[in-house]
Amino acid sequence: MLFSLLLIPSLVSAALAAAFRPYRTLVGWVNALLSLVALGAAVSFAGHAVRDGEAPGFGPGEMLRADALSALLMVCVAGAASLTLFLGPGLGGETNYKASQLRRYQLFINLFICSMLLAVAANNVAIMWIAIEATTIFSALLTTLTRTKTSVEASWKYILIGSVGIALAFAGTVLGYFDFVTLSGRAENALNWPVLLANAPSLHPEVMKLAFVFLLVGYGTKAGIAPMHTWKPDAYGEAPAPLVALMSSALFAVAMYAILRWKVVADAAIKDHYADRLLLALGLLSLLIAAFSLVLARNYRRMLAYSSVEHTGLVCLGLGLGPLGVFAALLHLVNHTAAKSLMFFLVGNIERKYGSPLIRQVRGLQTVMPWTGGLFAAGLLALMGLPPFGLFISEFALFRAGFAGHHPWLMGTVLLLLLVAFVSFIGHLNRMLYGTAPEGVTAGENGGWRIAPMMLSLAVLVVLGLTLPAPLETLLNQIVRIVSR
Amino acid sequence: MNDHDTLFAQLSTLSASVVLLFGIALLWRRSLGAYIKAFRWQSLVLSIAFALIGYFGNDHELYIIAIVLLVLKVFVIPWYLSRLQTRVGAEREAHPYVNVATSLIVAGLLVMLAYAITRPLVAVSRLPTRGGIPLAVGLIFVGLFVIISRRKALTQIVGFLVLENGIALLAALCTYGIPLIVELGVFLDVLMGFLVMQVIVYQIRDTFESIDVEQLNQLRH
Repeated sequence: MLFSLLLIPSLVSAALAAAFRPYRTLVGWVNALLSLVALGAAVSFAGHAVRDGEAPGFGPGEMLRADALSALLMVCVAGAASLTLFLGPGLGGETNYKASQLRRYQLFINLFICSMLLAVAANNVAIMWIAIEATTIFSALLTTLTRTKTSVEASWKYILIGSVGIALAFAGTVLGYFDFVTLSGRAENALNWPVLLANAPSLHPEVMKLAFVFLLVGYGTKAGIAPMHTWKPDAYGEAPAPLVALMSSALFAVAMYAILRWKVVADAAIKDHYADRLLLALGLLSLLIAAFSLVLARNYRRMLAYSSVEHTGLVCLGLGLGPLGVFAALLHLVNHTAAKSLMFFLVGNIERKYGSPLIRQVRGLQTVMPWTGGLFAAGLLALMGLPPFGLFISEFALFRAGFAGHHPWLMGTVLLLLLVAFVSFIGHLNRMLYGTAPEGVTAGENGGWRIAPMMLSLAVLVVLGLTLPAPLETLLNQIVRIVSR
Repeated sequence: MNDHDTLFAQLSTLSASVVLLFGIALLWRRSLGAYIKAFRWQSLVLSIAFALIGYFGNDHELYIIAIVLLVLKVFVIPWYLSRLQTRVGAEREAHPYVNVATSLIVAGLLVMLAYAITRPLVAVSRLPTRGGIPLAVGLIFVGLFVIISRRKALTQIVGFLVLENGIALLAALCTYGIPLIVELGVFLDVLMGFLVMQVIVYQIRDTFESIDVEQLNQLRH
């Protein structure tokens, strides 16, 4: 029942968008309200997990399952999706899109949301793969909503790199399944995660190592872990802002989730911190590339894309640092989801006002759009990891995990790289906030009531920065138990 | 090992080799027509391989997969590719990033690499088909190399399709195919992914008046 409430609203929304031609604003509103149903279902899954730690399953061969980890991701994805549908185009007001584009947007964004929810609800790792592959397809269809040379270039790179990456993840899934089949013969539910995990200790470490490398490269491409991150600045720079808001928050979280699921199986099979070492190395590389690319950033969208690569690196490091690190990484994932989705809606506002994605074209943001400018500054400070925002707490927890795990050199380097990123963020932010606005840019907000939901995102960040709510802590602790048994 | 298994092992390794050869053919041909033909033959041999494994391995689900594969990759996708070719114009792969001679040497090295990394797999498996596993991984690498080293968007699509064939072959040889429902989902995704790529190729043609990805170089920093 709950599973249908989770997955069906977005399908209904997509059908509504397809049915009404030309596009009507009412459809947008109905879809936004429907997304709250899915969010409600996700929250009640989380509630079940917190209250009695059960993992309800559904469907033939228990195709869907919601343990604590899935529930957390469902809340992240459904939350970001609701925000996107309320803040995205199609609800009336000022917009750059034609009616036909709005219809296409509403259709594919809802299919995109549905496939992300299916990916985190799937129990069978191959179904999870199919759903993640579908996210690539639906999001690629939206990257060229407004067709320019640069947006076409970005979407070609995105679909090619994304498809190849996800294909390699499938090769990894096949290798994992191969190992299982060789041991215990073919079974219909062999690809179900709990079955896989229960048999993992007897799998062959050598085969599992090879499979995990394929999976890490594959899903890592979707998550944008360096050196597979090259599509990220291009796609984030060119795709419609609301799509990027969803890609940088929810889709990223889903890809990291897939890596985590397989890492648990790999750990049980391999036993010698092989997966941890790989994640630490790639995490450090992501941070390194992100920190120095941030210094050179000239385009604020690409700046935020490199900030994504930076946070990808931090989450990877967390996943590689044992139970404490996993706790920090998942908390960071939640915080990052709130912060990044907020930032890209603001970017949409700023871009509409100034008509340019270049940092040097944006001057005097603080006087031109005081609310947007203020929120943008707050969001960027949050992404830098300053208090009183949630990312400060999760980064602090990450460092604690690193030092507790005896990695002083690694954590020292990470701190240094974060400092480099911090300094360049401050510089870029200064240039955008202050100064006199360029000619032709009139003062005034263009978001209207949309500022309110954005304030809500910021409020979540502040609450998570000041306290760790008890239900969230219970949920995270349950996940840590699932992940590091 | 009895006669039945020996014959099975020989046939599966033979078909895996032929599938790999058609993949390598992409590296020395230059026209899109030749690529489509190579892909079509490769897919035909692949679906025969699925049917063979279904027959010898006594698994009738594989017949269904073989038929879907035949329809999709021997008829539907090549038909779309030919239509794409006539509409976008047959641009030859005249100056790939890596020339033909070097490409062939690289392909040889990639297959050797595949033999090296799949040694634990071949050692672990007890299936008669295990001899072909390195060839399937080799084909995955060759597909990747085609995507990296060629300049036309259409060649890159064929490279991606060949990579997908490599993975399908790997699944067949390692585990006699994955569960049917999953396999069908995968085929659906491949088809949709291909169709979306096709849409974007039309967009590249409309905005750039050519499909040479060399021009896709505006996005920096």
